[in-house]
Formats: sequence, C-alpha cells, structure tokens
Amino acid sequence: MTTAPGQPARPVLACGEVRTCLLPSFQALDGRAAAQLLRLRADEHVRVSERPNLYALSPEVLTGVDCRLPTSNGAKVRAVGTVATRVALTEGRLLQSTAYFSAPAAGPDTRRPWGHYLVRPGVVEPFGKLPEQATAEGVLRGAGRGELDLGTIAESLLTRLLRHPLLDRKVPFKSRRTHLRWTARRIPAGERAELTRFTLAEDGLRTVELRLPEDTPVSAAAGLCEDLALHDWLLTTVVHMLDSSRLAAADGRAAVQALRPAVDHLLHLWMPHAQVDRSLVHLWEVLEREPGFTRQWQNLVQRIRDQLAVQAIPLLHQALSTS
Amino acid sequence: MLIFAASDKGGTGRSVTSANLAYHRALAGDDVCYLDFDFGSPTASAVFDVADAREAAEDRGLHSYLIGEVGEPERIDIWARTEHQVLRDPPPGCGRLVLMPGDVSGGEFATTGDHVRLCVDLLMKLYYEFDLVVVDLSAGRSYAVDMVLEATAQTEMREITARWLVFHRWTRQHVAAAASLVFGERGIVAGGVDRGHEEEALRGAIRFVRAAVPDPESPLWSQVSPTQSAWMRKTDSDLKQLASNHGIGYSQVLGSIPLEPVLQWREQLITDEDVLDSQIANMETWRALSGLAARLTDDKYWEQA
Repeated sequence: MTTAPGQPARPVLACGEVRTCLLPSFQALDGRAAAQLLRLRADEHVRVSERPNLYALSPEVLTGVDCRLPTSNGAKVRAVGTVATRVALTEGRLLQSTAYFSAPAAGPDTRRPWGHYLVRPGVVEPFGKLPEQATAEGVLRGAGRGELDLGTIAESLLTRLLRHPLLDRKVPFKSRRTHLRWTARRIPAGERAELTRFTLAEDGLRTVELRLPEDTPVSAAAGLCEDLALHDWLLTTVVHMLDSSRLAAADGRAAVQALRPAVDHLLHLWMPHAQVDRSLVHLWEVLEREPGFTRQWQNLVQRIRDQLAVQAIPLLHQALSTS
Repeated sequence: MLIFAASDKGGTGRSVTSANLAYHRALAGDDVCYLDFDFGSPTASAVFDVADAREAAEDRGLHSYLIGEVGEPERIDIWARTEHQVLRDPPPGCGRLVLMPGDVSGGEFATTGDHVRLCVDLLMKLYYEFDLVVVDLSAGRSYAVDMVLEATAQTEMREITARWLVFHRWTRQHVAAAASLVFGERGIVAGGVDRGHEEEALRGAIRFVRAAVPDPESPLWSQVSPTQSAWMRKTDSDLKQLASNHGIGYSQVLGSIPLEPVLQWREQLITDEDVLDSQIANMETWRALSGLAARLTDDKYWEQA
C-alpha cells in the first residue's frame, strides 16, 4: 500500500517515553523562570498555566531519525521520519521530558526527500508494512543497539536542559529518575479511550498500554502519560523516602530530617489529571480503582504527618516544663 | 558526594577496597553507585560477582557511553543480579547498590571535549540520585584521572563535594610513588591546578589509604623470631618516617587496611559471614573497612591539615 504524496496516512500506532526527575534547583521556579527554562525554540512560546497548578509546557522540537524500529519478534523494519520531544515543568519542581511518534500502517518502500518528513512532524514511516503488535511490544521492552530509542532522545533533551545556567544544581534531596514507556493503538473515532495495562517493572521502569480513538491527538496521550508518570514518580519517591528514613530505628531528629523534604517540596504536588485532555480524564479512574493511586498517596501523607506530629510531642512537653 | 579512587600503580587493592567501601555504605543505608573507570582492565564485575549480568551488558558500559556510542551506560543492581549467595539477601534497611561496569573491549581514548561533557552530565545525574558515588580510576596518571580532574573543574561541578582516595601499598617504592602521583610535577594537584582547580581546596580533598599493611603486633606474626620482629617494627617505623617526609604522613591518611589474604587472593567483597561464620577473613579487616567507609563523609577527617 502506498499513499498519495501529500496526503497524510492514517496513523495506527503511537509510542512514547517519559522521563521524570526532580528539578536540580534549591528553590522551585516561578512561572517566568519556568518559561525561560523551557524556551527550546525562539519561534514558539512556552505555554504556562497557573490554575489549578503551575504548569509550563515547552514547544515541541523534532529529531530526525532513520533507523530500525524495535520489534519483539526480531523483524527488521527500517523507518524514517521525525520524533517529537517536549518538556513539562510542574509547580517549578518536577521536570519531565517526553519523546513520541506516530506511525502509519504502511509507508513507501524508498526513502523520500526530507521535505516529505518535515511536513509530518512526529510521524515515523516504516518501509513497507508496519508490524503493529511487534513494534508496540518492542517499544515497551526497550530498544536494542541501532534501534529507534525514544528513551535516549528524551534523555538527551533533559540533559541539555539540566545544563541551563538558571539552575543552581542544588537538589533538596536525592531521588531517582523514572522512565515510563507507553504505546497507543488506534481505534475508530467516536469509541471510548481505554487504558489496558499499567505495569511497574524494575529499575524505575513503568509501562502503559492505551487504546486511543483516531480523533484524539497524540499530544493528548502524551499529556496523559506525563500526568501518570508524574504521580507515579511522587509515589515512588515518597515510598523510598519513608523506607530509608527507618522510622522505628531512627531517633526523632533523623526522622524529621528525612521526611522534611517531602513536606517542603512534594506533598502539594498531588493533583491527578489537572492538565489532562478531558476526553482522557476517565482513564485515571481505572488506576484509582486498581491499584488505587490516590488511596496510597493519602496513606503516605498521613504517615508522614503522624510521624512529624509524634516527633513534636516531646518539644511540647519541654516547652511546658520550662515555662 | 563523589569519591574518586586513584592509585600510583596496579595491585594496590584499589578496586577491591573501594568496592568494599561502597558495600559498607550501602549496608549502612546509603544509596551507592560504583563506577568502573578502570578502562582497559575493568574488574568491578568480578568483585561484585555479577559476571553474567556484565556479559549481557557488553558494549553498553561506561566506555561506550563516554565515546558517544550509547546514550546511557548500563546499570547493574548488585543485590538483584549478583551470584554471591550472601549479597543476594541484603539486610533490611540497606540502600541501593548499583554498578556501572566498564567495557571489556574498551581501552583508553584520546582527550576531547565531548568525553568531558558526557562525563560531567553523568556525574551530575548520579550526584542527584545517589548519596555516594564511588569512581574507580585506572592506575597512575591515567586518562581517567585527567578526565575527572577536567570534569570536576567545570563551573557546574564546582559546588559539588568531590573527595579523592589515593591507595598505596606499605612499601618504600609505593609510598614514594603515591606521593609523586599526588604532589609530583605531573601529579594530580598540578594537573588539577592546570585545569582550574584551586590548589588548597584540591589538596584538602585528597587523603591516602594504606593498603595491605602488615601490623607487626598482629597475632599473624606472633611466631616469628625476635630478630624478625624487631626488624619488622623498625621497618614499619622507617616507612612512617618516609611517608611523613613525603608529605603523606599520619594527618593525610584516612585509614589503613591490614594485610588480608581474602582481599589479596579472592578480590571480593568481605561479608559479615566471611568474618563471623566461616571466619576466613579477619575481624580487623572488617573494622578497618567499616571505619574507613564512615570517614568518607565525616568532615572531621577532611579538615585542612
């Protein structure tokens, strides 16, 4: 199957990877500084919104690719096109970089001039037929050497941004990055979007599988996955913080010291689907039912607050006895 | 905090000792990352007993990363991937222990700006993530040493605490060589100053570790003749004098590791089981490692002499 020149082929698959990390800056950035940081292109503005939370989204930048697609069955499919990358900063604290692309069911058997690919930003065309299932599985499993690696593209943008002179490179606490890989199979327009799977793998890797109606833009799926990645990062980070604070063993001051950064920098960041496209908000309900994101978060927050309250009791006694 | 492990020559026990330090800190609850910058002869995977995981990661190690062939170097989670029985069951409350292996095929490489840029990016990223990052550098005034001196001199790394451990054996040649590696004409301090480090600060961030030190008072030598014993004491005190003359005397030493057959021959982590159950390793070695590990971040030991 070949498409007539100029007529965009219907995408059947979209894939992406989100990297989430704490912004290495002692203070959270305000809206203006966020806009300055995310200004990846001179010709386009950074989108900044202040309600319901401070959220800045960079313009997209494109990366030209000509390489094999990752496939789970070892099929060698060369693909050419552009991968879109963007960066989001939430509450001046959490930085996320996403690389994603859409692919049509089939593409031309020869490489076209670059102009052809440049008018299709964020589209990667396979040579011949796209092995849809195998590619989706390959992306989730991770690219091998010489294959299209969304993680590396997202990471390199993140690295570039972290060199920005605006950042003082002082992290208020140590935390690890998480990676979330996602795939979205296209379903006919008008059907309801579905979240078919969310998994936690080792080494901070998470995977999401979606079914996305044709009339929903890919950027909406990217936005949803950024939102999921952000909340998953919060859970992962606060759980690790509680684990390593060794509450029972540590003396009071150590526990307060270990948990204080959560209060200062993280607890106010929980705001599910604040920036998610309305047509996809219902997908959050799936995760709220099972495994119950917000339920776990509330539990963690309660533990931290109780812990700090318990640590404050001796101080109260001290104050009363000396007065 | 970043810890760079350097040595004047090979065979000083630098890799195996610094790996043991990383292990002790992880046991104490810190998240620790160990980087094998011993290009050409990476040994860390053997020390941590992750040979299989290492093989699976061939060509995706630090060398491939620094020459720009892979976007991210491979990470190996030691607790999960090691074939060492005891390490597989880390005690509750311990931190993460991650190894970034070198490449078997990776030799040294020419100095260009790109390597330094990538090295800075990597060290910064790990610094944001781990409590302690231990970097094992090839012996001598190697490319690895130059690269991290250059990297830590960059403006973005100025604020970051980086400390140096220089390992040497307790012999006349090794004492002189270690002093020359640090203070010599082409030494670490001179090389650092050339790259923009402040001399006092850099000197203050370097401490020595005496490795494989035979203790004349140890029960190991209780059977030797009185003449031998007197000779050992005399030689030990001569060496102390020599070290002091070379500017690497007591105040510059962060710790001494006793002569330990398990470290020398097996080149592996010493676990509490080796000390308590099978008792193949000496308690003194365990204590020395544990004390040294604690002193890495204890500012008291790093004040200007």
